Amino acid sequence: MAQSNLEKQLNILDYALSSLWRHRLKSLSVLLVFAAVIFLLASFQMVTQALSDKAKQVLTHTPEITLQKMSAGRQEAIPLAYRDKLAGIFGIRRVVPRIWGYYFDEVRLANSTVMGMAVDEMPEGNRLDAALAKGAMPGPDEQGRVVVGHSITKALDLAGRTTFSLFRPDLSLKPFEVSGEFSRDTDILTNDLIVMNLADARDLFSIPAGLVTDLCVYVANPKEIDTIAKKISETLPSVRVLTRPQIQKTYQVVFGWRSGFGSICLLSALAAFVILAWDKASGLSPEERREIAILKVLGWETSDILAVRFWESVIVSGLACLVGMTAAYIHVVYCAAALFRPVLMGWSVLRPDLHLLPRMAVGDILLIFAFTVIPYLAATVIPAWRSATVPADSALGG
Amino acid sequence: MIIECKDLIKSYPVETTMVHAVNAVNLSVNKGDFLVILGHSGSGKTTLLSLIGGLTSPDRGQVYIDGVENWQQSDQALSTMRNSKIGFIFQFASLIPTLSVMENILLPLSFGRNPSGSRELALDILAQIGLADKANAFPSQLSGGQQRRVAIARSFINCPDIILADEPTGDLDEETEKDILALFRRYNEQGTTFVVVTHNSDLAATQKGARVFSMRQGVLSAQGA
Repeated sequence: MAQSNLEKQLNILDYALSSLWRHRLKSLSVLLVFAAVIFLLASFQMVTQALSDKAKQVLTHTPEITLQKMSAGRQEAIPLAYRDKLAGIFGIRRVVPRIWGYYFDEVRLANSTVMGMAVDEMPEGNRLDAALAKGAMPGPDEQGRVVVGHSITKALDLAGRTTFSLFRPDLSLKPFEVSGEFSRDTDILTNDLIVMNLADARDLFSIPAGLVTDLCVYVANPKEIDTIAKKISETLPSVRVLTRPQIQKTYQVVFGWRSGFGSICLLSALAAFVILAWDKASGLSPEERREIAILKVLGWETSDILAVRFWESVIVSGLACLVGMTAAYIHVVYCAAALFRPVLMGWSVLRPDLHLLPRMAVGDILLIFAFTVIPYLAATVIPAWRSATVPADSALGG
Repeated sequence: MIIECKDLIKSYPVETTMVHAVNAVNLSVNKGDFLVILGHSGSGKTTLLSLIGGLTSPDRGQVYIDGVENWQQSDQALSTMRNSKIGFIFQFASLIPTLSVMENILLPLSFGRNPSGSRELALDILAQIGLADKANAFPSQLSGGQQRRVAIARSFINCPDIILADEPTGDLDEETEKDILALFRRYNEQGTTFVVVTHNSDLAATQKGARVFSMRQGVLSAQGA
């Protein structure tokens, strides 16, 4: 009996497969459209996860607390003397001055991020050496030496050269020599970055002595970041205090918002597809009605016809899921998520040429499965249940 | 008794009134009988076949097949009964256009009991109806008469106890009609019960020993053998 039932199910599966083959043009069209929707959703999910992971990983190099002076709600240069006011706060390991600004290249219409750092003052392990692919960070006495991100090399068309010049505000040229290059792994943050020592940055932007744009605070115990941040706020009320977790959260929110926006658009596309599938499945053509009636006359049960529709839908949606997710993986890994980069990635004109490692947790796969395959099954099998109740004698008439 | 109908009534709404397609029909059929039911178009013949075959439910009355009432069974049991005991020949060819002739014929066997030799049996029946060379053709490649013959072959593939045939020779030329009726006779002699509805009164004359009925406005009346 069990063997007979198994044989029956195999025959039904065989009929479903042959039915898909018989309507191969229609089946292939549905499969391709469905796979495209899943591809978009899975790509989006993968690239969002990959970017979030990457940002999280790279932000470990940033200081635990960053201080910026605010005036009328806008940022302005912060006096170096503020360091002395922080000396009394217990738990602060070091306060390092930084100049952070943007250099607009009018020829290439691109913004570069310029960072002047007192590298020698930074604690061990926070000196960004690990982020370098080659060379070394410029020391305080190494005038005109810079470390650049990948896109800067390309944008300045340095090729074999190691020197270039940037304009000061008075349009005089300041020469630089590339002493190192950031690793591609840190592209998401260093792609458009030029790092130099504090004196060079001050010279490039004409910032008066005794002023910087930020003060980077390194703490002894990372668990005390919030407490120390609170104490700093109390000591320097006009200063904006940004903690690393806050910055990480901001990145997550930015990617999350973009991802959410994109997901809503894609889910709308999926919903449209499912509605179309429902409409198609519920509106039986005369040929389909006749086929069902013939099958019933020949002894097929309502449940057999439902089983055929179920297997057809499982095969189409399963294949579409497999094709869509594989294509998404290829798109993210080998094509660097080319379709979504303008939506999901930064505001710089120099688009990072990222090598993303997509992360797809079981939960994500199940989520995409739940949002795609299950609605499709429901959209095709439920109307099939209605169609399976076609009176069998409708095949006997004309 | 292989078929028994008791006080069968089936009505359909036509505009504002109900029309009795089958009106108080009583019928008893023994195993091996050959019944011919004559009647004009719209007389209720096809509805009676549907009721006997369990394709539609009566408004009143009962149909028994081998002593079991059709509509007292589950959908599964009724389907199994249709599959194993009854072969249907429809008024129109009713083949699935995307299946080949052989696949159409073997369709009733797709229920977990696919006996070895079924393909050979199908080829044998195809040979008997003169379509041995069309096994791999598709319905669209056949004439109307050839499609009808394939549908007839399909009805025999399960070796059913009962054949319910609705105008089985409607599209056939004279020669093929003779062959088909000879095939019916052979199966009938082997014990298969036939209920044939037709408007062709000559068909009754060709079947020796056939019980002939006529149907008019849903009412069935015997004409004698």
